[in-house]
Amino acid sequence: MEIILFIAKFGLAFIPLSCIAIMIFLERKGASIIQDRVGPNRAAIKIPGIGSVRGFGMIHNISDSVKLFFKEDFLPKHAHKWYYILAPMLPLMTAILTPALIPWFAPISLEGVEVSGAIINANSGLLMLFALGALSVYGVVIGSWASHNKYSLLGGMRASAMMISYEVSMGLSVVGLLLLIGSFNMTDIVEWQAANAWGVVVQPVGCLLFIVSMFAETGRTPFCVSEGESEIVGGFHTEYSSIRFALFFMGEYAHIVIASALIATLFFGGYHLPGLNTEVIHAHTAGVLAGLLAVKALMLALFCLMTTRQKKLYGALKASDKAVRLKEYSLFQIIFGGGALVAVLIAAVLMFIPMDGLLSELLTAAIQISIVMAKTMFFCWVFVWVRWTVPRFRYDHIMALGWKVMLNVALVNLVITAIVYKLLIETGVISG
Amino acid sequence: MAKIIPRPQLSLLEQLYFVEVFKGMALTIKHAVRSLAKPETIPVLNYPEVQPELPAEHRSEHRLMKRADGTSRCVACYMCQTACPARCITIVAEESPDGDIEKRPATFDIDWLLCVFCGLCVEACPCDAIRMDTGKAILVEDSRDAFIANKDRLMDWSPADYPAEDIISQEAPGGLLNEQALAAMQGGMFSAGDVADVADKETC
Ligand code: SF4
Ligand code: SF4
Repeated sequence: MEIILFIAKFGLAFIPLSCIAIMIFLERKGASIIQDRVGPNRAAIKIPGIGSVRGFGMIHNISDSVKLFFKEDFLPKHAHKWYYILAPMLPLMTAILTPALIPWFAPISLEGVEVSGAIINANSGLLMLFALGALSVYGVVIGSWASHNKYSLLGGMRASAMMISYEVSMGLSVVGLLLLIGSFNMTDIVEWQAANAWGVVVQPVGCLLFIVSMFAETGRTPFCVSEGESEIVGGFHTEYSSIRFALFFMGEYAHIVIASALIATLFFGGYHLPGLNTEVIHAHTAGVLAGLLAVKALMLALFCLMTTRQKKLYGALKASDKAVRLKEYSLFQIIFGGGALVAVLIAAVLMFIPMDGLLSELLTAAIQISIVMAKTMFFCWVFVWVRWTVPRFRYDHIMALGWKVMLNVALVNLVITAIVYKLLIETGVISG
Repeated sequence: MAKIIPRPQLSLLEQLYFVEVFKGMALTIKHAVRSLAKPETIPVLNYPEVQPELPAEHRSEHRLMKRADGTSRCVACYMCQTACPARCITIVAEESPDGDIEKRPATFDIDWLLCVFCGLCVEACPCDAIRMDTGKAILVEDSRDAFIANKDRLMDWSPADYPAEDIISQEAPGGLLNEQALAAMQGGMFSAGDVADVADKETC
């Protein structure tokens, strides 16, 4: 039991890693659909019997990683070798560590063993998360310093100054929420939201501030000052190539995944959905699972419809590779349509399987993990969405926003929260 | 006189910035949904599998028009070379064996690396001997010399590749004693009198 649990917990470390692949795809395709383009779709693999499959651009992930792995790993003579090698590892390392602190499901008991949703169910969970998140800036700073290059250094300076500034308002924006909850324990935070109201309802301003600070923390547009092709070349990763360059980007994407999970956990109820708290899921495991599968089937059916439309569109064109593409579209129609049918079938079969004891416990955890993942993916999409909507800020605007606006709003929010909370307790509207 | 343009004043709501950000996000999500749900509205061509339809007026690689007997229609008048702003046309003239035609090009080179595809040579030519309607817009060669098109290359085209209904994009009429030219003109927009008029002057 212990060993199985250990392996299962170890598997959580791969959540951000596997999300990176999805993020890259999401980013590229998100950019293209927002900008009315088709997006990358040229890389293809040949599957015997079917022909070349482009997979809507998914294959680009494989070809990119192969390319980055086999490129020359360039180490500039003037760089500080040790730090230069160390720097790209830091962001990814911290990003892989953090899922250990996020509660993926409500505590369950497996044959008498209490298992908490977070691997490390520490009372200082949130503080550790912030600490680990803050560590990732070291990757940027050390990398830029070790590169020994003015552009890298400028990029690293800007990034570190910005991240440190926004860390202040990030910390302050959640204090209001913590004041209400009275605990740093992540599971407690989610449980409080399940019992009372989501964080975004009780702390809308804090939520907004936190999301904005998270954009700054991950160094994403509109706060992408650490790199700027027109001013400082690539910024901190100017001198990096090959897999080290890729590591920086994997770190960035993993950081986005973690930031999204954090937003979902702190302000959007984590594994809780309105009307679907742990007891309800536990009591009606089969029903809830069937519902989730129905949602999945619906999405697959929509994908199938999308493929059908694209196939019809391509069929009407005068294209030289029509036969191959139409075959691929048919393949995906079968995959999506068949997937939808299978999901419906499984949902129907589930109704007749008795759910109790261990199975019910495990399935509850699985359902809750998928709820957290769905919320996380939604916020990942928000990161992409904002990136292709909002133009980037000038550096001094970022600093002014961080220190003169965000910090003050966070402080005022904290004071008002405290006063209102105290008044409500005094007047007996809520119990403290 | 200086024209003073008043700076747009942001309203309080716009200064808040967040509202505008949400407005922008609503706009982009509209585009995203449209791209997914209605792929036919994306103004993108699946190039190179799907080739664009070039308008008839487009300018691409040059070609030299041929008469039915295979000789070039060019009479080496140097008009195009003179008109060319990039000075990329080099013509060497020689005497033509046709008694009605004075000269013909011994060599006719266009350096496509210098050419700016302005089409002035086409405009300048009095004989409609040079055209830029090949549809080949992508020039890929592996040496600089290969970009210099000589007379043979400019005349290496087949009438089958051009719209049959557009008669003047096909092989040019003309040739020894201009028999086809006269026939074509008689069937075309000129009156019999015109034809008789030019019968002994026509040289293209
Ligand atoms: S297109 Fe313009 S630049 Fe090119 S050869 Fe003709 S006149 Fe010269
Ligand atoms: S203007 Fe026409 S006829 Fe004169 S040299 Fe040029 S291509 Fe030949």
